[in-house]
Parts: sequence; C-alpha cells; structure tokens
Amino acid sequence: MLELTEATRKRIRELQELADKAEGDDGARLELRRRLREESPEVVAGCSDSARSYRRLLAERSSGGNPLRKEAISERAGRMALELAGENPTPLEVLLSERVASLWVLVELQEALFAAWYYKANATSPTFVLQMARLQESAHRRYLAAIKTLAQVQKLQGPSRVQVNIGGNQINVSR
Amino acid sequence: MAWERRGGNLYYYQSEREGGRVRKRYIGAGEVAEMIAHADETIRRTRAERRERARTELEEAKGLALAGAELHQAAEILARAQMVAAGYHRRKGEWRRRRSA
Repeated sequence: MLELTEATRKRIRELQELADKAEGDDGARLELRRRLREESPEVVAGCSDSARSYRRLLAERSSGGNPLRKEAISERAGRMALELAGENPTPLEVLLSERVASLWVLVELQEALFAAWYYKANATSPTFVLQMARLQESAHRRYLAAIKTLAQVQKLQGPSRVQVNIGGNQINVSR
Repeated sequence: MAWERRGGNLYYYQSEREGGRVRKRYIGAGEVAEMIAHADETIRRTRAERRERARTELEEAKGLALAGAELHQAAEILARAQMVAAGYHRRKGEWRRRRSA
C-alpha cells in the first residue's frame, strides 16, 4: 500500500513532463489544467492513501510495539493533518497535509533514536553518529519543504476560510 | 587476543594497536590469564553485538526514510503542476505569477 501503483506513477510522470512544458507555453498550460481537472483527483487520492499508510507505519515503529502509544501517535498525527488541511480542503491540500504529518512522525522518531544512541556513553561509533545525523537532517529538510509546499498551495487557493470572532468564540466560515 | 603455546605451556597475549601498528602484550598463564581472556572475550562480544544493533537500527531508519521518498516526490510534482497550471513559475526558488497568466 505504501508503493504507488504503476498507473499512478505513469500519470505523475506525465504531469511532470507537462508541467515542465507548461512553464513557458500557454497551450501546454491549458492542457495541464485540463489534465489536472480530469485526472488529478484519482492520482491525488492514490497518493493520499499511501501517505496515510506511511503515517501508520511510522507510528507503529515509533511506538516500540506498544499499542496504546501507537494509537496516541497515530491520533495526534491524524489531528495534525486535519488541522493543517483546514476547512473544506482540496484533495491536494489533504495529501500535502498528510505528508507534513507523516514527516513530523519521522522527524520525531529519528530524533528519539538518535538521542537514545548518542547518550549511551562510548556506545556509538562516530560513523554511526554521522550517518544518523545525516538521516535526521534529510528528514528535517523534507519536513520543512513539505510545510512550505502546503503553505504555497493553500495561498494559491486564496482565503477560502474566513475566521470570525463572535462573543469571544472563534468561528471558521467557508466561503 | 590469543593463546600461544610455548614449551608445552599456554600463554595469553593481548593485541594493541599503537600508531597504526599492532603490538602484542604478554598477560600470563594459568587461572588469572584465563579470567582476563574470558573478560576480553565478553567485551569483544558485547562490542560486536552493539555494533550489529546499531547497524540494524540505522538500516531500519534508512528504510523508513526511503519508504516515503517516492510519496514525497509525487506530492512535490502534483503541487508544482498545480502552481504551473495556475500561471506561476519558479524563479530563484520562489514562485512568481506569470505576467501573461
């Protein structure tokens, strides 16, 4: 379930090629819009399924086999994805929010692993520390990139969510 | 670490690395040497186990990171396609709206 299907991969490759062309070609941009409208919901849904499976896998690994802990991590990451997606999210916003939540679990997991090994005095070789630090850095970079991409796409969607304060209560209204 | 037979008796030696060269150090024979040899073996085994555990954990961490790599790339492509379709282009890492869009 983590792996994307061959059909999804093929469509993503095609969208990538079309996006490359569309950066300087209005005709290709119109074609890209049409393809995104017609095909992207299915492709995005496939990717979102994988993102959820990935999040569950990471939660399971982070829990160290403790079912309660696994549930707690999963729940917290799920809520984070929901909050980030906001009210009435587009399928792409859902996917990007899922990805941020997954990467958050990955970053937390790697930090915990790294700390556990690092603080065992004389227990860890410099090579191990270096490789672990590189992994951690790469996960962190991906996490930040994922947040930035989500913010860019949400900005593109415009202010679809209006926040109103009535009688001290914060209410979110969708346009 | 090694036992060496000399004149019918077993003698225990430890090996040490000094400036890139391995030097043998005489420890002794008999019960005390056996105890030291046993301790050396335990330390060696513990270190090997710890190295193996670290290697396994590192491989697992790499595997987990790699498992999400394809998804990460796919999401970036989809987001980029969305931005380009909306008339944006990337300039020096920043998204800018095309004038003609």
